[in-house]
Amino acid sequence: MIAGFIAIYVLSNFLESARPPLPENYADQDLAVQGNKLKGFTLGLDGLIADWYWMQSLQYIGGKLVNSETEQINLEDLKPLNPRLLYPLLDNATTLDPHFMTVYSYGAVVLPAIDREQAIKLIEKGIANNPEEWQLYHNLGYIYWRTKDYRKASETYEKGAAVKNAPPFMRLMAARMKTEGGSRETARVIYGQLFEQAPDDQTREIARLRLLQLDSLDEREAVRATLQQFREKNNRCANSWSEIFPLLKSVKLPGGKDFRIDKSNNLVDPTDAPYILDKANCDINLDRAKSKIPPDIK
Amino acid sequence: MSENILSEQKLQSTNISSKEKNGLLRRILPISLNTFREAVRDRVLYNLVLFVLLITASAIFLGELTAGQEARTIVNFGLGAMLFFGAFISIFVGVSLVSKEIEKRTVYAIFSKPIGRGEFIVGKYLGLCLTLLVNVLIMGVGVSLALLYVGGGSLAFSIWGAILLIFLELAILTGVAILFSSFSSPALSALLSFLVFIIGHFSAALNDLAKGLGSTFAKYVFGAIYYIFPNLSHFSFITNTAHGEVPPASMILGAFGYTIVYVSILLVLTVLIFSRRNFK
Repeated sequence: MIAGFIAIYVLSNFLESARPPLPENYADQDLAVQGNKLKGFTLGLDGLIADWYWMQSLQYIGGKLVNSETEQINLEDLKPLNPRLLYPLLDNATTLDPHFMTVYSYGAVVLPAIDREQAIKLIEKGIANNPEEWQLYHNLGYIYWRTKDYRKASETYEKGAAVKNAPPFMRLMAARMKTEGGSRETARVIYGQLFEQAPDDQTREIARLRLLQLDSLDEREAVRATLQQFREKNNRCANSWSEIFPLLKSVKLPGGKDFRIDKSNNLVDPTDAPYILDKANCDINLDRAKSKIPPDIK
Repeated sequence: MSENILSEQKLQSTNISSKEKNGLLRRILPISLNTFREAVRDRVLYNLVLFVLLITASAIFLGELTAGQEARTIVNFGLGAMLFFGAFISIFVGVSLVSKEIEKRTVYAIFSKPIGRGEFIVGKYLGLCLTLLVNVLIMGVGVSLALLYVGGGSLAFSIWGAILLIFLELAILTGVAILFSSFSSPALSALLSFLVFIIGHFSAALNDLAKGLGSTFAKYVFGAIYYIFPNLSHFSFITNTAHGEVPPASMILGAFGYTIVYVSILLVLTVLIFSRRNFK
């Protein structure tokens, strides 16, 4: 019996290695089945199949990120990964379960980096299916804000504010989009809300990284000003971080946060990776190999 | 005087009918309990072991796969598995309920006693329903425990409305399986019952299709299918339950009514067919 199972193990591995590889584009072949055509054949298990599409979409994007050859993935632009099946997967999931809010919020965060129009289409479908959910207006407003369409973002937040039980934050955002749509503070409020209300771990993680990125942008801005101040005073750039620490002590970061220094006396970013001091340009940079901060948003 | 005689007669007839009822129950109940015991002896409830393993594994691993949506997926997966395991039991045990008794010739011994064919069929049917009820209850407890484990506390209680609807759906499917088994071989009965299970879930879509068709004849055909076949989509509430919704009382009452009427039709048909069979 044991020998038999050993033989099965060996044969199984042999067959796996002998199998001709699938064409490279196999993973990106169009979905053969569309959600609306599945309805009725699901034997009442629409939700379970929607879950399957949801898991597939997570695996799909996860696989794209893991297999990506680029070292630093730009969350703002995922087109180089060619994840063109994400929208059909999310669309199928929401067709089978139109109230699957997690899928909409995930789509709102990830799809704009692939195709803005698809992202808008998905969230508009969500609003049509769930007009009482103010979070979907927040998601749509977020998509418009990301593409710098502050007028539409403001209108969307305004509509969302009119939904029953919408928090005062929605009205505040409607006004803010009109006056200071492109400000870092607006970004902080948006990502803060996304982080607090994210129904899934992935959206929460993306929002968390974006918040850390904003903190890092504040830090780097302050450090640049301090490096400039040091250079004006000493006619040279600082040779190490420790030279500017006394000056940094007097700098106030937004939200009353402090700069952080590791055991080796390095200035570290919000993900605990040391900042790089660019002595040639008297500038501060992220350590792209170690830092988890996404590439800068403008 | 005549009033007294009348009331005495009324009393007597009431006594007779209540005695008849008691006798009916006394004859059906042992058949039902015996069917339940037989199902347990045949290890039908062993499917619970597999179910518990599935639910335990999903409770542990789904968190990773679903990015924090494990509670909802456990509801969909757990109740879906409950429906399918139940459907398999309904169909495969249901189709063999009568045929096994005929094959083993025990049916001759049963009918040599004062037991009617209708009582035999109803007893068998209720016995399998009891088996399914126990099965569904234990599975429900398993899903609730898995939900409590992953922190879906409120869902652990709100799933029971959908579980009741699943049980009612299985009760109809059992009736279908027994009907087919009364005139067909077990293999064919199982196949036909499974087809009814599929059509039953698809019939609402067929009705929508019929409404969109231009042909009046097609409309009648699809309309007939919609009303003749059991509409099992009336009992589908799993997806809503995953969102924490509870079936409204009107839906549950309606589903009870639909089940009672549909099962009565199925059992009457089964008894009529079964009565024509010769066991002498």
